Amino acid sequence: MMGRTEQQPDPNDPDHCHDGQASDAAFAALLEDSADDLYESAPCGYLSTLMDGTIAKANRTLLNWLGLEREAVVGRMRFADLLSVGGRLYHETHFAPLLRMQGEINGIALEVKRADGGRMPVLVSSVVKHGSAGDPLLIRTTLFDARDRRAYEEELLRGRRAAEEARRQSEADRARLQDALAVLQQSLLPHTLPSVPGVETAAYYHTASADRLGGDFYDVFPLDGKRFAFFLGDVCGKGPQAAAVTSLTRYTLRAAALHDPDPVAALTTLNHVLHERYTGGGDPRYCTAVFGTFEPDPATGAIAVQLASGGHPPALVLRADGTADFLPTPGGLLIGILPSAPFTAATTVLAPGDTLLLYTDGLTEARTGKDRTSLYGDEALLDFAVELAGESPHAVIQALTGLLDSFGEGLDDDTALLALGVPPTDPETRSTE
Amino acid sequence: MDIVRRNNVTVTGNLQGPTVILAHGFGCDQNMWRLTVPALAEDYRVVLFDYVGAGRSDSSVFSERRYASLHGYAQDVVDVCEALDLRDAAFVGHSVSSMIGVLAAAMAPRRIGSLVMVAPSPRYIDEDGYRGGFSAEDIEELLASLEANYLGWSGAMAPVIMGNEDRPELGDELKHSFCATDPEMARVFARTTFLSDSREELKSVQVPTLVLECTQDAIAPREVGAFVHRAIAGSTLITLDATGHCPHLSAPEATNAAILGFLAERR
Amino acid sequence: MSPLKITTRDAATGPVLEIFGALDYAHAPELRQLVSVTPLQSGQCLVLDLGGMDFCDSSGISALIAARHHAHAAGADIALAAVPVNTLRVLRIVGLDQVFTLRPDSVT
Repeated sequence: MMGRTEQQPDPNDPDHCHDGQASDAAFAALLEDSADDLYESAPCGYLSTLMDGTIAKANRTLLNWLGLEREAVVGRMRFADLLSVGGRLYHETHFAPLLRMQGEINGIALEVKRADGGRMPVLVSSVVKHGSAGDPLLIRTTLFDARDRRAYEEELLRGRRAAEEARRQSEADRARLQDALAVLQQSLLPHTLPSVPGVETAAYYHTASADRLGGDFYDVFPLDGKRFAFFLGDVCGKGPQAAAVTSLTRYTLRAAALHDPDPVAALTTLNHVLHERYTGGGDPRYCTAVFGTFEPDPATGAIAVQLASGGHPPALVLRADGTADFLPTPGGLLIGILPSAPFTAATTVLAPGDTLLLYTDGLTEARTGKDRTSLYGDEALLDFAVELAGESPHAVIQALTGLLDSFGEGLDDDTALLALGVPPTDPETRSTE
Repeated sequence: MDIVRRNNVTVTGNLQGPTVILAHGFGCDQNMWRLTVPALAEDYRVVLFDYVGAGRSDSSVFSERRYASLHGYAQDVVDVCEALDLRDAAFVGHSVSSMIGVLAAAMAPRRIGSLVMVAPSPRYIDEDGYRGGFSAEDIEELLASLEANYLGWSGAMAPVIMGNEDRPELGDELKHSFCATDPEMARVFARTTFLSDSREELKSVQVPTLVLECTQDAIAPREVGAFVHRAIAGSTLITLDATGHCPHLSAPEATNAAILGFLAERR
Repeated sequence: MSPLKITTRDAATGPVLEIFGALDYAHAPELRQLVSVTPLQSGQCLVLDLGGMDFCDSSGISALIAARHHAHAAGADIALAAVPVNTLRVLRIVGLDQVFTLRPDSVT
């Protein structure tokens, strides 16, 4: 190799000469592959039809696929006759019109019927041959064996259908789950507050997250002919576990109140139940709550309220005279963390025009300020309440609902509000005061 | 709602002339009428549109519930008539659109004054004493064919499926938009079309009607054409020497002549 | 709000956990987890130094209570040191100021 710089073939090289003879022979053999033979034995089906679809010519490859003799096909059948019924419909509605409009059409998946009754998937392309005057003369069609490809596509389609089915199923599951959540959530709160003669009640519940069960709760219910009970509280945490505690709390308080309506006794019963139920498991669950009873005095229109708090922010009393104050219940412990816990009682009398307001700490812990780093707080709430003093429970709840809305993103916790009060005896008198 | 945009309504021809609505059938869009429009344009105001889900309609408003019945498509026709405030228009419907026209004429009698039914069939599936030409299994096979071409129809469907209609390298946009129907919507239209039964509705037709059938039609055989003609009192039946289901494409001269003759009688 | 960071050291009276940052719904489980694996002997006192804690919500309170249960189960005591004013206010509302031993700081 070192000495060879010329790349020209050496005409005297006997090997070269031999190679040349061999390739010439192969080329000559190729030339013998006539156009006719290429047409007849091509690895695809060839078909020529008149414009009305009548088959004028078909190659052997296609006839072999069909399992038909040339005489049975040429001049006797139309292209559409070779197709399955579904394919024929498709041909009439899509293939033929497109071919007419475009002059050609490529890669349409159809099935041809075989003489043995079987079907064979093919990919069909057609082109219209025009005469010198531009008039359509005939249609040339090729058909490719698409058995492997169709099997593969059917796999894809099966996969797509399975995915669609799974998506539908998961959407249905999700809808069912949301329905279940909504029903559960409703079981944690009273559908409507009972009507109490001479007393107005109003409540509001803000859900921080639509698909997460909240942990705040409230209720108002009759005890006997004269007395009513109410409570409002906050279970630690969110989600299904918190909702389970909420449910247990709500129905325990309702049952306890019927047994002994004394507020401290009711909270003590709840404390026993929660502590017994949750402390052993290493996942202590507890709540804060204000529980109370009230009894309207038909003679004066006033109602006497007795309540007790376990770890809950103090209630607010809004007076008809335009003042407002917390009703302190210091020292009441979270409910459920200790086997026995102190609860602090308080009493007040609501005269006409007075309103008692219970709330959860979602309200006072709402983040305010420009960068949402400050908390709304007790003092701001008290100031807000003073402005509302003398208003009806409905008006108070409405104003607070507006306040909660104004927090926007700053309100990131569930918040429950419950107001009860005695409507002013004579609004006319009040407005002229 | 902007009906003109929703149904891709085109108004062309002699705007002072009487109105002819051309309604495409299952499979393609208003382009199907391109050999018909020139014949009508001189004397008639020609209204073309695409049903919602077909051609260049606004498919975002497609509703499977609405279009699960031919009445949903007929409502499209009525909507177009109302949007253009058409009165006494001639409605030319191809294939299933013939039946949609029957329904629309009943829903808005003052809007549609005459019907031309091109290759109509009120019922595709055979039943006792009635031959529509197909079995229920055949129709399922068509739906399977549609599905097979969801992947396989690379030439005409892929640009639409892939959402690249506006890519210039895909060339002739018009060409690619032919029959470029969303596969899901095409399936709904196919079901609605081939499973419907409008034989009863034919009896209620009150307007002058021309029935055009083809000598060789794999979808609407001649006995179906005869059935439609018998069911509509006073209708005219013309058998076109044409093969296939689209005589307006395969035999445009004969088809146009038949339509023009019918329209001229009514002027 | 800064994320939670907890450091552990051993004092003569027992382990001291210094808590920095937010003890909230997202982070309180870290304290629970850490406390549950902190070795405690009978008679020791677990001190939670809250001097660096800048936020504590009800989940944080839960974690403190869980720590108390853990300590008592081991026969140990628990104390909260350097409780921030805001948290102290919350502890008072929920009555926990009577349940926990509160210290001005963690150094005994």
